[in-house]
Amino acid sequence: MQAQTPSDSPACETVELQIRRQHGPTSRPYWQTFACPVRPGANVVSLLMDLREHCVTQDGTRVDPVAFEHNCMEEVCGACAMLINGSPRPACSALIAELEAPIRLEPLPKFPVVRDLMVDRAALFAHLKQVKAWIKLDGPWDVHERAPRVSPKEWQANYLYSRCMSCGCCMAACPQFGPQFGPEATFVGPAPLAQVRLMNAHPTGRYDKAERLHAIMADGGLSDCGNAQNCVRVCPKAIPLTTAIGELGRETTLQAFKDLFGPH
Amino acid sequence: MSSSIENSHFLLRRLHSLLGLVPIGAFLVFHLWENSQSRFGAAHYNDEVVGALQGLNYLLVFELFLIALPLLFHAGYGLVILRHGRAEPRRYGYLRNRLYWLQRLSGVGLILFLLLHVGLTRIAGLFDPAISADLFGHMQRALMQPPVFGLYLVGLLLAVFHLANGLATAAIVWGLTTSAEAQRRFGWVCAGFGLLLAAMGVHGLLGFLIAPGAGGGA
Ligand code: HEM
Ligand code: SF4
Ligand code: SF4
Repeated sequence: MQAQTPSDSPACETVELQIRRQHGPTSRPYWQTFACPVRPGANVVSLLMDLREHCVTQDGTRVDPVAFEHNCMEEVCGACAMLINGSPRPACSALIAELEAPIRLEPLPKFPVVRDLMVDRAALFAHLKQVKAWIKLDGPWDVHERAPRVSPKEWQANYLYSRCMSCGCCMAACPQFGPQFGPEATFVGPAPLAQVRLMNAHPTGRYDKAERLHAIMADGGLSDCGNAQNCVRVCPKAIPLTTAIGELGRETTLQAFKDLFGPH
Repeated sequence: MSSSIENSHFLLRRLHSLLGLVPIGAFLVFHLWENSQSRFGAAHYNDEVVGALQGLNYLLVFELFLIALPLLFHAGYGLVILRHGRAEPRRYGYLRNRLYWLQRLSGVGLILFLLLHVGLTRIAGLFDPAISADLFGHMQRALMQPPVFGLYLVGLLLAVFHLANGLATAAIVWGLTTSAEAQRRFGWVCAGFGLLLAAMGVHGLLGFLIAPGAGGGA
């Protein structure tokens, strides 16, 4: 499989690709089928790049190129997440040789479609803001006093969460997340919750721990999780989302006690 | 004041969770324990089990504040929660996701079952004193009809499943179990608890049919 073969060799295998397409955010989706030559080691993104060069459907009609997003090609940017054979996952790490044919590609659900396989993940970033998933570097304290002290064990646990690439797969799979439940009270979703877990553990970030906990104790916060745990099953980076959710459950329990009985 | 108290969302959700465990869950365990004594016969059941409860001072206050109102809130708010999620048990066939879906399904099933069950026993008893005087006979006559027995069996299993699974998720909600390992381990504990409770409940249902002196009316 790994041997270099000319890309247009007649012996080249082809795979059937079914793509759910959509011209714009409000247009009706439709399906198109393509027969794509497969190069050794091909993944869904490389297949889509090849398809862009000769965008001809199985019945010979030349059509507009399929719009899709990609950047890093090494599963760290999160841009290429889509529904592949019904599962949300990054397209770059979905190897054709390991997929069942015909391969069905659909835009990542729960996020508004921009065009074809491109979706708008603005909600994910809005929710990261809502839960204050950042660290204030300036404050009334001296941040330059000394290097942050974190035990290797703590560092190891925190590191897991720092690998989130905002691909949105966990959000797509979460039964509690989605625009269909109304624009105001939408659940922030698993990825932003995990970032609260991460920021609260940061040596400087922990100063705003209570604020972040309060943010996830409001509408659309942690309590809207229904513990279906799809998020942790589909996360391509194996981020322990449900552990974060359990830990935040404990932290919010303690925070509620503090809010009710003090000390604040 | 802090937003966790100003904003009722968190407190309401936790109240829903808490009420599901105590008093509702605790009452379910007690209720199934009481009824597991059905096989000792009409005299024991009517006098020692039901009779002792009926003689309790302030019974109505307990029934209202420890059972009816908490259940009404839990069921009502449960329906609100139901509207904010959509399970896709086919697309994501993972165990926890199926349980998530079944938790909601069993909740709705329980509303229907409890309306019928409470209506035919406690409420009917208010209008017909003969029913509360001989609850054993009343239940026995009902359970001897296979459709009614089937209905009670389903209702029982729904309630037990809902409580056992609710216990496992409540442990995550409150932060008792955090690691995946702990959540899995406690999940099995809850499954064991559910099986025991189901066995006790089925034993109680069968008891009405096999009790001494039973079957006379059939
Ligand atoms: C009568 C109708 C009922 C409805 C509609 C209902 C609905 C629900 C729903 C939707 C949940 C999920 C909450 C969430 O995950 O956020 C839930 C959880 C729960 N329910 Fe019920 N329920 C009902 C009756 C009962 C009964 C009879 C019991 C006790 C045996 C019970 C005990 C629980 C427990 C312990 C939880 C877990 C709470 C948590 O995850 O924190 N429920 N219920
Ligand atoms: S937690 Fe995982 S699935 Fe969710 S956005 Fe981050 S990397 Fe993607
Ligand atoms: S555990 Fe919570 S956040 Fe994760 S998929 Fe389930 S409902 Fe969504």
